[in-house]
Amino acid sequence: MLTHKGRFDPTRFEDLTVTVDFHCHSACRFCIVQEGMNLFKGVSEDKLRAAVADNARSRRYRRICFTGGEVTLERKLFDYVAIARASGSFEHVRLQTNGRMLADMALARRLLNAGVDEYFVSLHGHDAATQDNISQRPGSFDEAVRGIANLAELGVCLMTNTVICTLNVEHLSRVVDTVQPFRPVRMEFWNYLPMEDYADERDLVAPMSKVAPEVRRALGKIRELGIEGRVKYVPRCLLGDFAEAHDDSQPDVVIAEKFYDAYPQFACLYEAKCEHSDTCLGLHHPYVTKFGWEEGRLQPTPRTRPFVEPEDGLWVGSDRPGEGMADALDHPAWRALVEGVAPRNEARLSAVRLTRRTCSFLFEHGDSSVEVVLSARDDGAPALTRTPSFNIHYRSVAGPAREKLASIVRDAVKTIGERDPGGMVLDRRKGLVGDEAARRRPSGRAD
Amino acid sequence: MALLDASALLTPLLESGPDDRYFDYCLQPYRPRRSWRARLRPENLLWRSLAVGGVLEHLRPPLLALQAALGKDMTVWGIKWDGHRLFWEIYVYDPDKEDPNATLEGIARTLTPWFEVLPRPRESIPYQMVSFDLDASVASRRTIDELNLYLTGGPGHAGRSYKARATGVELENTYRFLDAKREIDQILPLLKASVFVDYGDPARLSKVLIPELYACRTICVAKKRLRDGVYFSGIAVEQLLFFLRRFGYPSAIIDLVARRPGAFEHLFFDVGIDYALDGDVMTYPKTSFYGTL
Repeated sequence: MLTHKGRFDPTRFEDLTVTVDFHCHSACRFCIVQEGMNLFKGVSEDKLRAAVADNARSRRYRRICFTGGEVTLERKLFDYVAIARASGSFEHVRLQTNGRMLADMALARRLLNAGVDEYFVSLHGHDAATQDNISQRPGSFDEAVRGIANLAELGVCLMTNTVICTLNVEHLSRVVDTVQPFRPVRMEFWNYLPMEDYADERDLVAPMSKVAPEVRRALGKIRELGIEGRVKYVPRCLLGDFAEAHDDSQPDVVIAEKFYDAYPQFACLYEAKCEHSDTCLGLHHPYVTKFGWEEGRLQPTPRTRPFVEPEDGLWVGSDRPGEGMADALDHPAWRALVEGVAPRNEARLSAVRLTRRTCSFLFEHGDSSVEVVLSARDDGAPALTRTPSFNIHYRSVAGPAREKLASIVRDAVKTIGERDPGGMVLDRRKGLVGDEAARRRPSGRAD
Repeated sequence: MALLDASALLTPLLESGPDDRYFDYCLQPYRPRRSWRARLRPENLLWRSLAVGGVLEHLRPPLLALQAALGKDMTVWGIKWDGHRLFWEIYVYDPDKEDPNATLEGIARTLTPWFEVLPRPRESIPYQMVSFDLDASVASRRTIDELNLYLTGGPGHAGRSYKARATGVELENTYRFLDAKREIDQILPLLKASVFVDYGDPARLSKVLIPELYACRTICVAKKRLRDGVYFSGIAVEQLLFFLRRFGYPSAIIDLVARRPGAFEHLFFDVGIDYALDGDVMTYPKTSFYGTL
């Protein structure tokens, strides 16, 4: 059975990422949207306005992040930032950028004045030789560092990102040395994900025997400097004392759905054994194929709870740079769907977990508990029952009070059915945008 | 390999219906992933493969007779591929000996108009399932020379298969069925306890425990006379497509799924690989996938 290990990431659906367009003046050897550069259109202004309007109603997202391509090359970026800011529904506007254009202080200042308050800047090498080799653009290191310096001078929320591959794995702690004078709030290290080159013909996938110690060394240096560290796609158990830096989550991304057809899938042999398997993806398939399952290197944390085959990735906490993980937002419109069910059944509504795909209500009665789960209405999918907006089912039944739990489920289903106004949006898709976001392939090229 | 019977590929596809039942290759029931409406029965894959193998005309009538005798969805088929040739195995389950048509004698009786079943092991053997192989040579010979008897009885879903011929019965393979996730601690040593594969190279396990197939319900570890085998049960149609492409199945079979994956989305599939090392290279002398008829 496919689980989120095969299909889903842990989710951080409080962040909405918008791919403005797919042009770039760098040519990073590991670019995750390399194929997209040719085949995907950016998000149209109409789509953006629709997403922003939806958020003004639902307040689902706290942050909007504009990315590309290289987003600072896009003329429409300022229009998009203005649309987001005008809605008043986002606490933060973030740019994901290679930083090169920000070497122009005037542009950096203009972006800040437009309302961009968070900057996530890629820097893949500690020096010009390493960075420019990866970006395949001489001078990119110098420009990016000037851009980072400008952002530091402006006092914005600055974060850096380094993609780990064979070309830089031995220099990660030197990247910390390069960046630390600019006092970033956070440094992130994302292990390389092959999007097309599953056989790793480019020889970019580095073995965990090298990656893990180098990442730990970099994280140690970051900790001493008081900078927050984050690591993606390196199994949590390999981070040792720095496990809290592990974060495999990704936000909601407005991008062509086809993008995720090529997205690598993950697996871990110890999924059922490890306490952290709900949030740790393990290893991606191309890694396993090249280097093996690492069954001797991985050290699963013994479970304290029974393993339940997950249906979706979990919500993993709000992204608040420099403050670690924070609690979820409250979701009053969704909580209202089941208001009254818990007290009527001498139970407690202990969690409302809203992701784009599902909304789940966790009810507890003494030592017993059950989760009532809403997903988007789909007449072709199995469901306990359906309401205008939802398919409803229950899961994770635990404890002895089965009759009471059944009563809670019946009451919840009835109450949701009475209160669902229709039009409450959940969406199982990952990319949110259909084929209209893909360019026609050049003639003569196989689809 | 026999020429493709192109006209057979045009046979109308059989749609799922409200009376369909859903079983895995051990005839264990499962709940379909999606509604059956506007989707296709798994037997379409069997008919397509027989057409591709050039034996549809010869083998479809006896298989339809078995389906009629045993009931729809009660017969398991396996489509096998050695990289050059397709062949098939048909499995009949009746562990509690409830259906006279599922006994050795009953199966032989049903097949009589087309095949003579030569082995006649005693009916009192406590077999769970009996199977027989089909291919072009069986179709032309019109005799079934071998039956496979599957016995269990041990804990942990252990199983053994015996090859029954007119001259006698001999042990063939052993099987262990394990929960892919929860029983991984048992799966790994079982896989690595091999006389055919040296797992000194850490990447070698991933050529057996293939990551794209690991997201499944049950893994069966098989030890065979001349090689090892592993089966992944409860995979989705996307994984079946990966499997068909990975092992180079004929394009007409792949196309049936690739052109309409949504039509098979309600099903779970089971696949198996036999493997051995040839020098340092992992080879797959036979792969197979399964459904019901």
